[in-house]
Amino acid sequence: MTTEALVGLIFLPLLGACATVLPGRLATRAGVLAGLLPLPWLLVVVTLAVVQDPALFVELGGFAAPLGIRLFADPLAVLMLWMVAIIGGLAAVHAWFDFPPDSPAGQSFWPLWLLLTSAMNALFLSADLFNLYVCLELVTLTAIPLIALAGSKTSVRAAMRYLLLALLASLLYLLGIALLYNATGTLDLYLIRTALTAAPPAAVVTALALISLGLLLKGAVFPLHVWLPQAHASAPGPVSAVLSALVVKTAIYLLYRLWLWSVPAGTLAAEHALMLMALLGAGALLYGGVLALLQERLKLVIAYSTVAQLGYLLLILPMAATAAWPVAWQGGLYQLLSHGLAKAAMFLAAANILHALGSDRLSHLRRLDQRQPLSLFTLAVAGVSLMGLPPSGGFLAKWLLLEAAWRSGQWWLLAVLIAGSLLAAAYIFRILAASLGRDDPTEAQPVAASRSIPVIQDAAALLLALLALGTGFAAAPILQFIEAGAPAAWSTP
Amino acid sequence: MNPSAVIYLLTAAAVFGIGLYGLLQSRQILRQLLSINLMGGGIFLLLITLGGGADGRPDPVPQAMVLTGIVIAVSATAFALALLLRWHELSGSTELDADAIADAIADAVADAHDD
Amino acid sequence: MIGLAIDSVLALGIVWLALQTVRSVSMLQAVLMFIVFGLLMSLAWARLHAPDLALAEAAIGAGITGALLLVTWRRLQADGHDPVDSELPAQSKWLTIPTACAAALLIVIVGWIALQLPAVPGTAGDLAWQRLGEIGVSNPVTGVLLGFRAYDTLMEMAVLLAAWLGARAVATTYRPGALPGPVHVEVPLVGALLSLVVPISILVAVYLLQAGGSAPGGAFQGGAVLAAGGVLLFLTGRLEAAPRTSGLERVGLILGIAVFSLMGLMVMATGGHMLALPGAWAIYLVETALLLSIALSLVLLFAAAPGLRRMS
Repeated sequence: MTTEALVGLIFLPLLGACATVLPGRLATRAGVLAGLLPLPWLLVVVTLAVVQDPALFVELGGFAAPLGIRLFADPLAVLMLWMVAIIGGLAAVHAWFDFPPDSPAGQSFWPLWLLLTSAMNALFLSADLFNLYVCLELVTLTAIPLIALAGSKTSVRAAMRYLLLALLASLLYLLGIALLYNATGTLDLYLIRTALTAAPPAAVVTALALISLGLLLKGAVFPLHVWLPQAHASAPGPVSAVLSALVVKTAIYLLYRLWLWSVPAGTLAAEHALMLMALLGAGALLYGGVLALLQERLKLVIAYSTVAQLGYLLLILPMAATAAWPVAWQGGLYQLLSHGLAKAAMFLAAANILHALGSDRLSHLRRLDQRQPLSLFTLAVAGVSLMGLPPSGGFLAKWLLLEAAWRSGQWWLLAVLIAGSLLAAAYIFRILAASLGRDDPTEAQPVAASRSIPVIQDAAALLLALLALGTGFAAAPILQFIEAGAPAAWSTP
Repeated sequence: MNPSAVIYLLTAAAVFGIGLYGLLQSRQILRQLLSINLMGGGIFLLLITLGGGADGRPDPVPQAMVLTGIVIAVSATAFALALLLRWHELSGSTELDADAIADAIADAVADAHDD
Repeated sequence: MIGLAIDSVLALGIVWLALQTVRSVSMLQAVLMFIVFGLLMSLAWARLHAPDLALAEAAIGAGITGALLLVTWRRLQADGHDPVDSELPAQSKWLTIPTACAAALLIVIVGWIALQLPAVPGTAGDLAWQRLGEIGVSNPVTGVLLGFRAYDTLMEMAVLLAAWLGARAVATTYRPGALPGPVHVEVPLVGALLSLVVPISILVAVYLLQAGGSAPGGAFQGGAVLAAGGVLLFLTGRLEAAPRTSGLERVGLILGIAVFSLMGLMVMATGGHMLALPGAWAIYLVETALLLSIALSLVLLFAAAPGLRRMS
């Protein structure tokens, strides 16, 4: 039953994508529904199984690793899969109106969307380094055309730049894999750990450096983030939501897998590497925050906010060597979850605003409380989580991170965390202030709301924001679940 | 390690490096795509040379990986070329950076007029 | 000794061609250099006991990729001026030297590391040789691609499908004028040549497919050869771009993924392991579906069109 559910998570969207390519209107609708609707149900089965056994393996073809490829499900993977199902699902509901399955736009959109869903599920479940390369390429080659579907010159330029850098990143990753395979004879993420201790250190360090560099580039980690803001801001709304909430996180997820599962604890100068990545995270948090504060367009503010918020996910890494690790891990994953929900909500709300007003410039958002009250409410609720105010999920995440930093005595981390939250508060309040602004009678009046938004599109955005808020209330079972799958802390020196 | 393998290993490293150089120093998208393909070729050569068993039984796993890699490379290249044609159609340019700032301003102005 | 000499010449040729690809002032020349680079790589694969790769590189790496690059170069020229060739070196000089140094450093590190990697016992590849009998084919590469690591092959087909979907999605405008001009003038020999070459490409594709079980070959090489036949028909005007994807083409594009997945799911539903293909017949069936999808995807990508039809 569990095996079938895991396989279904990958193959239903894949076959759904095939169905959407087939001729006939019915085929497209059937493909979308059959590819997306069952995912939460399958996930319930998988989640129940992982609660029982927090390290599930499925051998594809019946061939044990290292010969065959395994699927692996643990609490981290399940958390990511839930994010794909919920965020991807609500974004799909939103997209149903902008890309109706019968329209030519829908014909382009849905096969790519389903393949992207399948690719992300496959990536979060794969236990094989080379298979992950294939999954990464599939994510890239489905996400980028979706950006270009916006059709504007800006979006095509952003897609092209993203593609070139993503291909470079994949090649760095692949070169690292080539070295690792020849140094260890295996490609399995979880078998490689023992083999790495016996392999020549120079080769392993070089391979890890290449793989990490590739992933940092794909994950848009400061200072390799240059491709992200335009790509995320110029994509169609639901695509922006999934890019920021899920697609960039695939790279961060793999960094976690690599450094916390595959690298033997405390060897190979890993603590220096983790500290370096945390410093990049700190840089991202501050730089992204400041840049978000300087943007003039709503979608760019949100995109730079992603650059900043990704920083939190790297900040936890050096705490793997401290006693505060379980708390840091919970905080990191809660950040992953709450940021995903809040950011998707903001991008969908921004898309609604852009659609209704014809512009997302902050200076054009005046009287938003009268023109698009639901969108403004969504932005505010999601913003509460993003800047970490109680009682949101973002608050809990940042609270746990602060506690971990405090307990592990990493004072610089405390300062960075607080500065990050203050910057987030500043750019969120700037959006809200612009939205509540009143018309200046001396200026020409902006055109009133030109188009109305289907209520379901508003509801999808609002629901995501409420979920971001709600994760602050229903925290105990989620935190317990996450803790059960925490990678072992390194023995404290 | 036999001398031929040494030669091919050095070739692989050189081709990868040349590709990287081409990618970073060129602005022409077409040239950058050529360079990316060169880098891929270098990695493939490295994989196969290292996986060449001495007893005449070459390791089939890297060979399968490279075959998969070749198909992925042609897929990525084909899509990239389609995107390049689209970019050329929209901008008249075959580079990305030539007038990014001017375009950003033009976009902003057009956007302001939309309102 | 002669072998070493051949390898040295080949290696030098490969490096020189790579350099030319990056350094030629003319973009056309760079593309041509890249194609020759692919052909030499194909020879290198043969020297490295990787005949499957030699075939794949010649057909896909040099052949289809080269054709794609050339036709794109041609299309970029279609609006009259020569945007590609005019401005090299475009990058400022001060970046060139650090870039070259960084690349050289990486060459040294990777080369140095690779040279001292020891042989590891008990690799996945050793296991593949030992258990090849369980798959039902004697070509170990086919065994890995459709047996031990069949899942990779399936996902790779999804990548190819995504590339076609992506290319179709970004090419919003259908402009027959922008496509390379087919040979409108009926050259007497073209028809005779085609009536020879196209059947041969089909024959070779079928041969490669069935040979792949025991000898070099397989769905990917066969698919690329078949695609080459299709490209020829397109270039000589026997086929032309159509504004819509026909139903048959739609089925063909997903055939590989659908047959492969459904076969895997069927095995799982009857109590076996997901993607464990039940015997050689299943491998050949799946490979046939893969071959058709690969060939069709590549021809459509080359035509940069949603579909193809007979020249009216």
